[in-house]
Amino acid sequence: MKPECRDLEVLRSLAAAGALDGDEAARLAAHLAGCPACRAAEQADRALLDLVKLPPPGPAEALATADLPARALAALRARGRRRHALLRFGTAGGVALAVAAAVLLLLAPVLFRDRAPEPPAVAQAGWQEPDVDALWTESAVLELSDDAASTGDTWGDDALAAYDAWAGE
Amino acid sequence: MADEGDGKRPLLRVVPGGSEGSARREEEALLAAFLVGDDEAFGALVRRHEKLVLSLVRRYARTPEDARDLAQRTFLRAFEAARRALRRGVLEEGAVPFRRWLIRIAVNLGKNHLRDALRFTHTSLESVPEERLGTEPPGAAAALEHAQRAARVRAAVLALPRRQREVLTLRVDAELPFAEVAAALSITENAARVSFHHALQKLKALVGEDSL
Repeated sequence: MKPECRDLEVLRSLAAAGALDGDEAARLAAHLAGCPACRAAEQADRALLDLVKLPPPGPAEALATADLPARALAALRARGRRRHALLRFGTAGGVALAVAAAVLLLLAPVLFRDRAPEPPAVAQAGWQEPDVDALWTESAVLELSDDAASTGDTWGDDALAAYDAWAGE
Repeated sequence: MADEGDGKRPLLRVVPGGSEGSARREEEALLAAFLVGDDEAFGALVRRHEKLVLSLVRRYARTPEDARDLAQRTFLRAFEAARRALRRGVLEEGAVPFRRWLIRIAVNLGKNHLRDALRFTHTSLESVPEERLGTEPPGAAAALEHAQRAARVRAAVLALPRRQREVLTLRVDAELPFAEVAAALSITENAARVSFHHALQKLKALVGEDSL
């Protein structure tokens, strides 16, 4: 292939598609007039593009597509109805959620007031200061055992009274 | 349809991509009317562009009903895109490249449809029974042979690389000028012309020049 032929390849393809005019068409025509190889190639390109083309619509296709505008309009309206239904549903759901959230917000202090500040019992005991007086009282029981019988104060008092009565006081 | 004086009409301008003058203003008015809720304007716009859209999707359709459904989906998506663009305020200087959107959506839907169709079947979309050749009268046999060659070429078109296939079909099926092909695909006109040339070369390689 000559360099000039290669330079004109794109124009040849465009000419085969009927998409060339003006100076470019004139330039290609001048070349084709003197180049049988390029003329043949352009004819082959045209034949190929004829095969690429689809056959014109037949009666069945014309019939099937005749109501396209009406069908498309019906589909558009159906879609619009669905969108509105979804919007209504979405709005109602949103309102319900907002109301529920507001109610929860109002009730939260009432519902959680008694429970929230209450600390665990064990933790409280762990932090409490020891009651020294209570400890002293408890330990005094051991000291009382010197004055009275170790089994109890009542028994000691009764024995002392019996002794006094016998001694003649 | 929206009245220019009713105050409802949005500030929109349609870029029809080729047609000028009154046709352009008419289309602009129709789309604006549709966008403010006039469904009848939708029907009028579909009638205006149905030939273009059908010419693009029928290559990918297995049946006439397929073509009709693809065209319908194309319109619905394009109108939805226009509506959203208006709502979000993303229109450039108020322009709606409606025709360009239609072309892009039609090509994409067609391609997806074909992919889905091929996923479920391995039979050729346009296969002609080989055994029928030779059993018909001479004229019919020649016609059948031609139909078979055409089917081979059209199958090869669908096997082209995406950009080449898009450029080729926009030019051949919709007969769009290369400037509009380029605009629809967001490429330069020169790139569209070169892609068309490459598509033709690739097709020849796929079908074999001797079979033409």
